[in-house]
This record gives sequence, structure tokens and C-alpha cells, in this order.
Amino acid sequence: MNLSWHQLAWKETRRRPMRAGITLTGIAVAVAALASLLSFQRGYRRGLGLELDRLGAHVLVVPKGCPFDAASIALHGANWPCYLRGAYLDEVRSIPGVATAAPALMGAFPKSDGTQTVVVGATEDLLALKPGWRIEGRFPTATNEVLLGADVARKLARKTGDSAMFEDLPGPRRIAGVLEPTGGADDGFVFLPLATAQRDLRHEETLTHILVRLRDPGQLDDAVNRLRGCNAGMDMNIVPLTHLFRTIQGMMGATQVWMACVAFVALLAAGAGVSNAVLMAVVERTREIGVLRALGASPGDVFRLFWMESLVLCTAGAVTGLLVAAAASHWVESWLRERLPFSPTDTLVRLEPGVALLCLGSALTLGSLAGFLPAWRASRLSPREAIRAPSGT
Amino acid sequence: MNPSKSSQPSAPVVIARGLSKSYPRGSVTVAALRNASFEVGPSEFVAIVGPSGSGKSTLLNLLGCMDAPTSGTLQLDGQDVSQLADSGRTRLRRDRLGFVFQHFGLVPTLSVAENVALPAFFARRSDPKRVDELLERVGLSSRRHHRPHELSGGEMQRAAIARALMNRPILLLADEPTGNLDSQTGSSILELFRELNADGLTLIVVTHNPSLASAAGRRLEIQDGVLISSTPGSPPKPHGPR
Ligand SMILES: Nc1ncnc2c1ncn2[C@@H]1O[C@H](COP(=O)(O)OP(=O)(O)OP(=O)(O)O)[C@@H](O)[C@H]1O
Ligand SMILES: [Mg+2]
Repeated sequence: MNLSWHQLAWKETRRRPMRAGITLTGIAVAVAALASLLSFQRGYRRGLGLELDRLGAHVLVVPKGCPFDAASIALHGANWPCYLRGAYLDEVRSIPGVATAAPALMGAFPKSDGTQTVVVGATEDLLALKPGWRIEGRFPTATNEVLLGADVARKLARKTGDSAMFEDLPGPRRIAGVLEPTGGADDGFVFLPLATAQRDLRHEETLTHILVRLRDPGQLDDAVNRLRGCNAGMDMNIVPLTHLFRTIQGMMGATQVWMACVAFVALLAAGAGVSNAVLMAVVERTREIGVLRALGASPGDVFRLFWMESLVLCTAGAVTGLLVAAAASHWVESWLRERLPFSPTDTLVRLEPGVALLCLGSALTLGSLAGFLPAWRASRLSPREAIRAPSGT
Repeated sequence: MNPSKSSQPSAPVVIARGLSKSYPRGSVTVAALRNASFEVGPSEFVAIVGPSGSGKSTLLNLLGCMDAPTSGTLQLDGQDVSQLADSGRTRLRRDRLGFVFQHFGLVPTLSVAENVALPAFFARRSDPKRVDELLERVGLSSRRHHRPHELSGGEMQRAAIARALMNRPILLLADEPTGNLDSQTGSSILELFRELNADGLTLIVVTHNPSLASAAGRRLEIQDGVLISSTPGSPPKPHGPR
């Protein structure tokens, strides 16, 4: 039986378990929100960066329309009712500074189970944009050949050299290659030679987008201006991807600042709750404070006792909040995905040690601030008056 | 840790000279204690008696260094404590005085043993052997892990007495220690006080309990803040109600 300050404070929560529980919950909720938000912020930024790397393009050329939808198409696959004329490709290729221009025609076939088959018609130019790709086999060249993303191959249980039927495409196809998992959207795509895709999707001589890689990414602005200035420029939307990602991030950033404010206010409110709970404890336990002073507790000891109670409440609340945030991250992730205009394929919300430590630190700071006033009050009580106070419990 | 170390063995533990205390109440000041002078020798058992509101608790708080006198001087164990600052009084309470209250004053969230250990904790010490010894002394060894609400009133007061003795005080002060107890339990507490006194502890007890008052070797009677008689020795005279 060795007494310690934090033990004394922790045992005090037994006196009013309900009040301690409610106060603690306030902190836990605020910390869980803060932790989720910070995790999301990091996850989102990291995810966007990875997407950009995997895409391999610096500029995306799409038909006139919303650039966010365009990005979604190019990255994750979707249907898009507008098309580029195939002839624009040559014009794009002739712009100085363009290293590679990879044309693509994309079509998505929704399935009854909510998933979709995404078919991408492409040329071997695509390989120049995807240095990270590892293909078992080769890129399809013959009309009836396909390249399967890793997930597609796994679902179909097919390997290189097999042939397979696709319900959205006429006739059997020979699998010329299978992509090793990339971790991105490519894993879910079926790649065909461009001409085959144009025939099967009945869009001869048209494209959904062109992926452009520049000789020098530092000359992005010049290249974009030249692309916009060319003859076909009027009918094309030239989307510099780094800018696009920065815009998406900025848009998210504004929302995140707003959410951070909410989490911060919640934390302050929870801190006020802690302050209030400890203040009530001081009032209720005034006579007990008098007794402790009679036993030889100094004003500093009394301060420490109540200050520690505030710290213990905040720490316990923060730990609970972090556990909740970690446990709920999966759920938060899918909730966010449903609502975000654009979300990278990588994990968005993952509680990292740095974030956990930051939250714990904030809670401790909050606890020491919240506990200051009640503890100071308790320590200022005159022992003679305190001992005369009516019993609170 | 701080056993009594008077220069002479018979030197008084308490010497009060013209001790007064008044409280401001609105625009007037109430003289709760006026000009009290008395001494308490080592190993004495003194009862403070008097009607309600007469100033008994006020006097006990002064003796217990819970408060500073408005005027007069007070020496405890040869040390003048009337001019001490708050920190000095705190240290004196912790190291040299023991308190027992009518309401027991145990911390409900702590076990009996932890309650007993509190004064040592505030002195930044830990002495589990002393805790065991004291629990044994007051007959609560089997209750050491119990929380106060699991004890009877008499047991709670025993625990409080053990706690008061934790830091080996030179003087034990009790304010109506039997006030919340039935007469039978009260007499068992009285018996404990007698034993402690027989072992050499100096005791000053405020009480309305006639048997406790008569058990004391001396009674200080107080009325309207004035010490009206100091009755040395026993047997005490029976006192009619006022
Ligand atoms: N802190 C205080 N502020 C103002 N007046 C006080 C204070 N403490 C005591 N008094 C007054 O001083 C007088 C003596 O009070 P005290 O508590 O010493 O009486 P008591 O003899 O202990 O009474 P009881 O037997 O009821 O406990 C009373 O009139 C009381 O109202
Ligand atoms: Mg009293």
C-alpha cells in the first residue's frame, strides 16, 4: 500500500462514477474527433501523392467539363458522356515539351452487385507513363488480346495465356498479360488495344482522355499554356495534375480547417467540463480539504491533489478517445469515402503514433489548464473555514 | 519521526497566555475567545467543556494551529507558534499534532490503511510497519482493506484515531469525538483514549459527553468565550445543564 498522487486522483473518480464518466466521455469524443481528423488529413495527402505517382502523367487532357470528374475518370474509372476526337492526339503530340501522350478510351460497366468492370483502350504509349508496372506477359497488341489488372485476374481466376469471356465484350479474349498488384485503380482495369476498345464500345476514332508526360515537369505552366493555345485547345480541357491535386487538397483543406475548429471547440468545451467537474468536487469536498489540511497537507499538496484529478480525467478521456478512433477508423473511412468528391484508393484514415502522441499531449495540456482554477481555489481555502463546511457527500 | 523532545521532562506541552480570537461578522466583530490563559502538562488528559457556541472549537483550532490567534501567545512544546506563518503551522500540524473529528473525516475513496497512511504521505514518507502497528493498536487489523463506508461509526473513529497518531504527535486534539456515536461505542472510544493517555500521550478533548469529561484528569470550562474555571484533578463535579 504505497500512496501516490495519481493513485489518489484516480481513486477519486470512484466517488462520482457517473460524473467522472460523463466528463471523461466529453474528452474522449473530442480527442477521437481530433485524432480521426488529423489521421484523415495525413492519409488524404499521402494518398493523393501516391495517386499522382502511379498515374505517371503530368497533364490530363479531357473533354470540356468538370475537371474533378475528369480526374475521377482517369484515376478510378467511370462513364463520361463526352469524347475527344482521335485527331487531337497528333496535335497534342506536336506540342514542344510533350514527351509522351498516351490516348485512352474508357468505359465502365456497372454490375448488379455495385462493382463495375472498367475497360480501358490504350496503346503501348501507356507503358512509358507507368515505370512501376510489372507485367507477367506483355501489353496486348492483337485485336482479341487483353491485359488484366491484378484484382480482375484474381476474380476471374485466369493467368497469362488463358482465354476468357467478358460479358460486356463480344467474343473470347486471350490474356496477353497480367499486371502485378499496383495498389491503385489499375488493379481493377481490363486493358485492350485502343482500336479494339473503340470498336467494342462503338466509339470509333474517339478518346475519353489523353495522359501527357512532359520532358521537364518544371516547365508545366509553359506546356499547359501551349496546349491550351493549340487549335484543338477550345474543345479540350487541359488539366495540370499537380495543380488539380493541389486544388483538391486546398478544397479539402478548407473543410479540414473548419472541422479542426469544431474539434478544437469540442476539446475546449470538454476542458470546461473537466474544470467544472473538479470545481464541483472542490465545493463538495471542502470539509475534507479542511481535514487534509489538519493532517498536515500544505496548500501545494491540496493544489496537486485536485490538479492531478483534472490530469487523470483528461488522460483517461484521451486514451479512451484514441482507442475509439483506432477502432472506428474503418467505419470513418467508408463514411468519408461515400461523401468525398474525390478520394484516393489508399487507406485514408489510419491512426499513427505521431497523431496519437499529439492528441495525448493536447489532452494533457488541456487537463493542466482546466485543473488550474479549481486546484488553486482548493489550495486557497482557509483550513479553519474549510473544516466548518457542511459535509458534501 | 518527531517524538516529544522537551528540554525538561515536566515542561508544559501547551502554554497559552491571554489567547484571544475574534471573527469579523458583517460590521461587528465577534469575540469567540477572550483572554484564555492556561497550561497543559505532558501526559495530561484535558477536557474542554461548555455550552454550544461558547468557543470550544475556536480554542481547539488555535491549539491545533488551524488558525492564528488575534492576540495572546501560544507555546507548543516550548515553541512560540502564535506568530508562525501558514507554512510553519502546516508543518507543525503534520509533524507534531493529531486531529480527531466528530465526523471522523475519513477519505471515503481510500481504504482504512490508506487513510491511516495519509499523514505520512503528506510528510513524503512511507511507513507500512507503523500503519500495521496502529491498526493493531485500535483493533482494526482485519479491516485494513475495507473502505470507510463498510465500517461502523466506532470503527471509523478508531481508524481516524490511528490516522491521527501516524506521525507520532506530541498532542492529540479531538473535537467531540463521541458526538456521532451511541453511548456504548462512545465509551469504547473513551477507553481507547484512556489507554493512549496511560501510554504518555497528551490529550485535549472538546466534549459534551459527561463520562468522557469526567474521565479527563482536568476540565477547562468555557462560557461565552471566557475560560471560567480550570478544574484540576478528579473526581469532577457533576454539571447541571445551562
Ligand atoms: N469562522 C467563523 N466566522 C465567524 N464566526 C465564527 C467562526 N467560527 C466560530 N464563530 C463564532 O464563534 C463562536 C464560537 O464558536 P465555536 O465553534 O468555537 O463554538 P463551540 O463551543 O465549538 O460550539 P459547539 O459546541 O456548538 O460546537 C460562535 O458564536 C460562532 O458563531
Ligand atoms: Mg464546536
